[in-house]
Amino acid sequence: MKVPILKQGNFLIASIQGALTDTDLTSLQENLVCSVRDNRSKGVIIDVTVLDVMDSFAARTLRSISIMTRLMGANLVIVGIQPDVAFTMVQLGLKLDGTMTSLDLEDGIAMLKAADQNQERGDYGR
Amino acid sequence: MSQSRMQLPEKFLTVAEMMNIGDQELARRKEFLEFRPEDEERLHKLAPLSESYAEAVIEAFYTHLLKFEEMKVFFPDNATLERVKAKQKQYFIRLTKGNYNLDYVEERLKIGTIHEQIDLPVKSYLGMYCFYLREAWKHIFEAGKKEPDEVMDTFFSLMKLVFLDISLTIDTYIDSRERTIKSLQQEAIRELSTPVLPFREGMLLLPIIGQIDSQRARQLTEHLLESIRINRAKVIVIDITGVATVDSRVANHLVQTVEAARLMGAEVVISGISPEIALTMVTLGIDLGPVHTVGDLQDGIEHAEQLLGYRVKKFAETGKTDKGDRV
Repeated sequence: MKVPILKQGNFLIASIQGALTDTDLTSLQENLVCSVRDNRSKGVIIDVTVLDVMDSFAARTLRSISIMTRLMGANLVIVGIQPDVAFTMVQLGLKLDGTMTSLDLEDGIAMLKAADQNQERGDYGR
Repeated sequence: MSQSRMQLPEKFLTVAEMMNIGDQELARRKEFLEFRPEDEERLHKLAPLSESYAEAVIEAFYTHLLKFEEMKVFFPDNATLERVKAKQKQYFIRLTKGNYNLDYVEERLKIGTIHEQIDLPVKSYLGMYCFYLREAWKHIFEAGKKEPDEVMDTFFSLMKLVFLDISLTIDTYIDSRERTIKSLQQEAIRELSTPVLPFREGMLLLPIIGQIDSQRARQLTEHLLESIRINRAKVIVIDITGVATVDSRVANHLVQTVEAARLMGAEVVISGISPEIALTMVTLGIDLGPVHTVGDLQDGIEHAEQLLGYRVKKFAETGKTDKGDRV
């Protein structure tokens, strides 16, 4: 299943619509990084609300996307992790270290905006 | 991981093991009753006689027992009565069969447990022993009239053994009462102690009271994560003042909860780390990692307010409160 990437101002929103195979995840990674370059985006949101499972490959891919986009100057927030998914991930030791996470799209956008403002003020630390 | 280090379920332990009765304890009990090898010998000699009178004693006993209304409920039909009588006979005969070792103790404890489970009162249990001793005395006396000393010693040996049995039985009663009370208590604590309280907009308060085990930690985390979603919480204060001990397992649970909350976009502050707990944690080398920790609940709430951008300001003594005090 392909993941649509929506542009919203300075931000990109990748909204996952259903269960993803490993190939889907790899192509999401590629498409997102290219889109960040093409749109000169400042922030990326990946919405995982519909996922009821997060395996280690998915977690690792999300984490590497986050590192890649940061290298290209865009912050990444993962939004919509469900309670039981969060619990399972922690039990499996998938912590998404160093990645920003947020409750839902609304909070995610707020978080990106706040991070953006901090950076404009020259405050790069989070 | 911690899940794999589960405790053995109790059903794999013998009753004696559960009650910490081992060879040493058995030896001490026997010594206290002065139950010696010569007693075993006398009981062994008594075996043929006891087998001959067992049937009669049991018949007499159940005739006596069934005179009491409250006892009849334990024998709803004839089949039950016959079955119990057969068991009882086995039991009496076992008294003179020797080998009073841990296997013997285990049998006795099991019988005690069964009686406790069907709610047979201790008084009836003791009454049964009294009846048995009296009846046994008659028979032993009858059979050994010519040697009164021998008769007395034999009877005393039997009495010592019966008292050993009684002590074991009463212990099973006490032990299982204690277990019941303990589990009820645990349950009450579990039910009472996992509230998730919305404290301010975006802030949840989670006081934990009592022991944290794997099951409870799981319940607690699930409950918290659901509450984060429902209340759209950004900061959670977990107060562990009521947790008596923090070992590496508890700390591990806390870290997991914190991580899970972070995945849902909420930050966690842990409060109520007393000096004792801090000391234990350092001694045990427990690391809570990147978790915010503060001393008491007040600090926890203040810290959480700061994270949320609240500033709580006290008004002058006049008590004007009509203006917004939060920025």
